[in-house]
Amino acid sequence: MIKHLGIIGDWVIGYYLEFGIWVLGIGRWRVAVLTPDERERYSRQIMIEEIGSEGQERLKRSRVVIAGAGGLGCSIAPWLAAAGIGTIRIIDHDEVELSNLNRQILHWQEDIGKKKVDSAGSKVRRLNPEIRVETIAESITEKNASSLVHGYEAIVDAMDNLSTRYILNRCAIEKNIPFFHGAVQGFEGRVMTILPGKTACLRCLYRGPGPEGKFPVIGVTPAVIGSIQATEVIKYLLGFGQLLTHRMLMYDGLEAIFTEFAVNRNPDCDHCGTLAD
Amino acid sequence: MSVKVHIHATHRRYTDGREVVAVEGKTVGECLDHLVRQYPGMEKAIFAGKNKLHHIVEVYVNHASAHPNELPKPVQDGDEIHLILMLAGG
Repeated sequence: MIKHLGIIGDWVIGYYLEFGIWVLGIGRWRVAVLTPDERERYSRQIMIEEIGSEGQERLKRSRVVIAGAGGLGCSIAPWLAAAGIGTIRIIDHDEVELSNLNRQILHWQEDIGKKKVDSAGSKVRRLNPEIRVETIAESITEKNASSLVHGYEAIVDAMDNLSTRYILNRCAIEKNIPFFHGAVQGFEGRVMTILPGKTACLRCLYRGPGPEGKFPVIGVTPAVIGSIQATEVIKYLLGFGQLLTHRMLMYDGLEAIFTEFAVNRNPDCDHCGTLAD
Repeated sequence: MSVKVHIHATHRRYTDGREVVAVEGKTVGECLDHLVRQYPGMEKAIFAGKNKLHHIVEVYVNHASAHPNELPKPVQDGDEIHLILMLAGG
């Protein structure tokens, strides 16, 4: 029987008698019950029938990685933070430059020269101090990808190159973590959600290396695409709605149209082909 | 047999600005060959070599990905092909 139980922050400490020996236990305890402030903060989305208090508590328990703090990351992070995702990890090795400011709206003039994760992390924490925001200023490589996403239940693709996307795609498949793909160029963007072993992955769609370098882009495009990726993450975590699985949603801002294309799993895919459906 | 090919905005400079081009062929490859015969500038835009598409070119038939082995995929009268360019920015 536990004789004493105390909670300090996210930590729970207790001691109990077992076989005549006092045992001290320390563990991490994510408090999932909403505080009065949180009930007020999220009141308008708790009103959504599919969310309610139970869904909001689910979001509070959620752990999401955002890979990249560029144009897409700066759109995805505030929406997930505002929605009350309990733990958000932002990964980016880069520093803020003047040429980022047309689209990476978490980075401001005063942030030039700072690490992007520091700049983005501080804004997101100020937006929602109720959540935990972790920042990692590292490049994502084949070597560290697995440890960077370990213990998380969603990986959001906010990368600016295809080679790192492939690393994340493979890592997500190996660790069975859903992967939320997004990409932009100019006024165009695309979104697809990948459930490892169940739905088409990036390698089921793309045959080889993609273009590298600096791409033209206007800020409204990652704003649109990042918002859709964040919507997908929230829907996945709450388990409602139709995910963008087995389909790529393409956005053409100049024509103001969305077009959907079906994408099926490739049985010979070198990333997910060996996984059973 | 007529198939419509939807041309990506980036490639319309090679098709006199046309968004859709009517082509003929029994496979995706035959249709793209006919497209190139009508608009030779499209050859370098979509092909990296003989019967080899550029990595960044995606082919969809009737709004479904034709990857992999796009070129031998059969098409029928009234089908639509979309040529889309891969995006990698973030």
